[in-house]
Amino acid sequence: MKLRLFLLVASISAALASAGRVQTSERPRYGGTVRVEIGAVIHSLDPVGTTSDLEEAAAKDEIGALLYDQRSADGAFLGVAGSGVFHIAQWESGKRLTLAANENYRGGRAFVDTVEIEMGRSVKERLLDLEVGTADCAEIPPEEARRAGEGGVRVSASEPEELVALRFASGHPIGEDAHAREALSRSIDRAAIVNFILQKEGEPAGGLLPQWSNGTAFLFPTANDVAGAKELWSQIPGSPRIVLGYDSRDSLEQAIAERIALNARDAGITLSAEAVPAGAAGPTEAGDVRLIRLRMKSARPRDALTGFIAALAPAAGLDPAPLPAAASAEQIYGRERDMVSSYRVVPVVWLPRVFGLSARLRDWKAPAAGEGWPLADVWLEQESQ
Amino acid sequence: MTFRTKLFWVFTLALLLSVSLIAAGVTIVARRAFDESNRQHTDALVAQFKDEFQRRGQDVVDRVQGIADAEGTVRMAIDLSRPKADVSVYVNDARGVSQSHQLDFLDFVATDGAIISSNEWPARFGYKMDWLTQTLDWAPVGSFLAKVDTQDGPALGLMAVSTVRVGDRDLYILGGERLGKEFLSSLALPSGMRALLYLDLQPDFDSTNLVDAAGPVSDGDQFGSFIKQERQQPLEQTFRIAWTPDPASAEAFHTLPLLGRQKELLGVLLIGSSQREVVKLEQRIRDLALAVLAMGLFFGLMLSWWGAARVTRPVEKLAAGAREVSEGNWSARVSVRGRSEIGQLAVAFNRMTTQLTEQREQLVQAERVAAWRELARRLAHELKNPLFPLQTTVENLRRAKDSSPDQFEDVFRESTGILLSEIENLKSIIGRFSDFAKMPQPELGPVNLNDVVRSVVKLFESQFGAVGRPPITPELHLEENLPIVQADATLLRRAIENLVLNAMDAMPAGGVLMLRTSHDEGGVELEISDTGSGLTPEECERLFTPYYTTKQHGTGLGLAIVQSVVSDHGGRISVESETGVGTSFHIRLPIKPPDRPVSAPARAETVPAEKAPATSEAPTGEGA
Repeated sequence: MKLRLFLLVASISAALASAGRVQTSERPRYGGTVRVEIGAVIHSLDPVGTTSDLEEAAAKDEIGALLYDQRSADGAFLGVAGSGVFHIAQWESGKRLTLAANENYRGGRAFVDTVEIEMGRSVKERLLDLEVGTADCAEIPPEEARRAGEGGVRVSASEPEELVALRFASGHPIGEDAHAREALSRSIDRAAIVNFILQKEGEPAGGLLPQWSNGTAFLFPTANDVAGAKELWSQIPGSPRIVLGYDSRDSLEQAIAERIALNARDAGITLSAEAVPAGAAGPTEAGDVRLIRLRMKSARPRDALTGFIAALAPAAGLDPAPLPAAASAEQIYGRERDMVSSYRVVPVVWLPRVFGLSARLRDWKAPAAGEGWPLADVWLEQESQ
Repeated sequence: MTFRTKLFWVFTLALLLSVSLIAAGVTIVARRAFDESNRQHTDALVAQFKDEFQRRGQDVVDRVQGIADAEGTVRMAIDLSRPKADVSVYVNDARGVSQSHQLDFLDFVATDGAIISSNEWPARFGYKMDWLTQTLDWAPVGSFLAKVDTQDGPALGLMAVSTVRVGDRDLYILGGERLGKEFLSSLALPSGMRALLYLDLQPDFDSTNLVDAAGPVSDGDQFGSFIKQERQQPLEQTFRIAWTPDPASAEAFHTLPLLGRQKELLGVLLIGSSQREVVKLEQRIRDLALAVLAMGLFFGLMLSWWGAARVTRPVEKLAAGAREVSEGNWSARVSVRGRSEIGQLAVAFNRMTTQLTEQREQLVQAERVAAWRELARRLAHELKNPLFPLQTTVENLRRAKDSSPDQFEDVFRESTGILLSEIENLKSIIGRFSDFAKMPQPELGPVNLNDVVRSVVKLFESQFGAVGRPPITPELHLEENLPIVQADATLLRRAIENLVLNAMDAMPAGGVLMLRTSHDEGGVELEISDTGSGLTPEECERLFTPYYTTKQHGTGLGLAIVQSVVSDHGGRISVESETGVGTSFHIRLPIKPPDRPVSAPARAETVPAEKAPATSEAPTGEGA
């Protein structure tokens, strides 16, 4: 009973905290073009078509949310083109997309007339464009948020919604050794990763769901325990070498992986961080343990955890059974605890979505987990003559 | 081996030895010169490395000091000096600053030794570098070698430290350059030389830490033992590595230990110089020597041959002359010019043969005179015997006619009988001389010498045991398988008869007459020995001289006839004799005489016997 009461209080506090982030605008203005820059390169907007590039798929999903109203059971957008808040005005595959406000949108016309989306812009280019004012909105890595802010860019960060975790490969000797998994988990200095690498944009992750979601994250320890890790590692016969794979294109994953390697060395664990191809999944090509990034598909704990289970269970050898539709907070916590205590998945940090905004973009509300860009609600302030 | 061949080899070997010594000498001198050149190159390279090392070190010091003096760094130091300063802000600063200052290594380190930002190992923030805080003043230290931990493993760096002091807090700036293949590639190396750097970063020798300007060195394991020596005692040393059995692949290395601040070995610079050029030069010298040797050998061969011929030709002429003399040609002359010893020898030789010829002619003349005297004496002696009865008979006839005419008729008949008898005797004497003068040429045919010997013995058989004289016992030792010889049986029989008669005359008191036949590859041999009184050496010497006789009533032609017969058959006769023991004649006949009838008399020789027996053989080429 105590735990249930505690979870209830935690949910209410999380909801209140979320509500507190809602921005209100006064005197919205119609018109203007919002210039958005993204890193992904989208080659097709066909809602049925699929792509292997996760970044492209995510961007395509975001744009789909602006174009279409309806989604299928698997989350893909359906419906007729133009049924969303915007419709496609101009399309240059892989380069540029211009969306125009849908005058007949059932939820009301967007404030801005058009949205210009520039594709394939690197982080450096996006930051530069934000600083010089040639872009109104661009998503930037959390670790760059502080520097962007110091550069005069308005920064909007969502609640932490992306989990960075270690996933041990099922069937591999190291992956099947509980002591090895736990030793590595205990050796990680998550606070240092958040403070230095993420520049304090994020949270140390002990559980799978962030504190604001289910309110139970504080029940999972995040502090490192080098002595405990050493003790556990010493019980492992031989001197196994762990290969930690990270996405070769992801500098944040690389930085975190290298820090984990350093922490592991302090605990006597021989671990080398090695870049692997983005799509690598097998133990041989992805390493004994893989650093992964998982975004919550929903703000609702049950849906978010179900999404994690679906993403993690096959590779990590976890129970793939989804949570019941009406799973209680205790059930969610219990399932989360079972997953975490197996150490087959080791949460490291939570990342927020961080957006850089121009000064003229108004009424921007950082999207919650599972939500797309709130371009339907933003408006552009009249620039002074 | 002839004298000329010996001389030729002596000349050739002397030439070979000379060229070999010269080639070896040149090779040694060239090697020393190359070694010295290599040493100078190596010294220059070591000096260049040290200069470059010092220059780079000063450059690193300057750049690190430049970072320390930069506004951003000062601002960072000020910020960090505040209480509860947020160091995380600067976690990525080292990368950008190091790039702008072209440093491989850069760490910003807080006053407590904790890393704020690291370029070579960005994830290392928060870790301590306590050794950095133990030196109070880094300014005098300058640059130094240090082992730098990077996320890719340890590296060797040429480092410098600067500090920015704000209040009582220091901000350390540790920067440096990686010492590796890039550093080596900046060294200007002479042709045939290379520089290697061993980074002594692991507890044990690791060949992958041995790099040159292109990267890790293949076959780095070869350096293991030398690196281990350096680790035990860091000293400059020189060693040589043969990469393949080909000597040209060898490489000489000079080591220069690189020490850290605590004098610990952090690296070893190896300056290698290829031995290819040396070996090639040696090879060229050797080839040249061989070519010179071959040419020298060729010309030396010819020269030696010519020289040897020039030296030995007079000697050979002398030898040929001596051979001619030995073969009886005493008139042989040697034509050698020059005043050398050989020339003098030739003159002496010619003088000697001239004198020999003159003396021989004198001797022949003397012998001829002696022979004529002997002949005259013999003739006188032989003729005097019948002449005396002739004279007395004629005087008796005259006296009988004057004093006793009545008995004259009887005296006349008796005297004429005596006269006729003596005249007959004279004719007989003259006939014997005539026979000797007209010795017939042998008519050759197959003859069994044993049969001839047996027939002669049978002829004299009755005389051996004749009444009134001591018996002579013949002993025949005839070889059964005696080969048939081509000879004139009549003449042989006559010669053997003469020898048997001589033997019988030599044994007036009786004795043993031994006749022995034998053969060998060259022909057959007959030995006729008696047990008579023997002959003196002087008698042996003159035994075959015509008209010489030791008997009271001999003509001195018997043995001369024997010698003539033997000579006509291409054989030779010799005599051995010992006074009081007996005399042996040895006749040696060829199976087949020479095609041309032998005009020269048999070679008769005197063979010295044990106990100094008198021996003789008929002189060659001398008339009987």
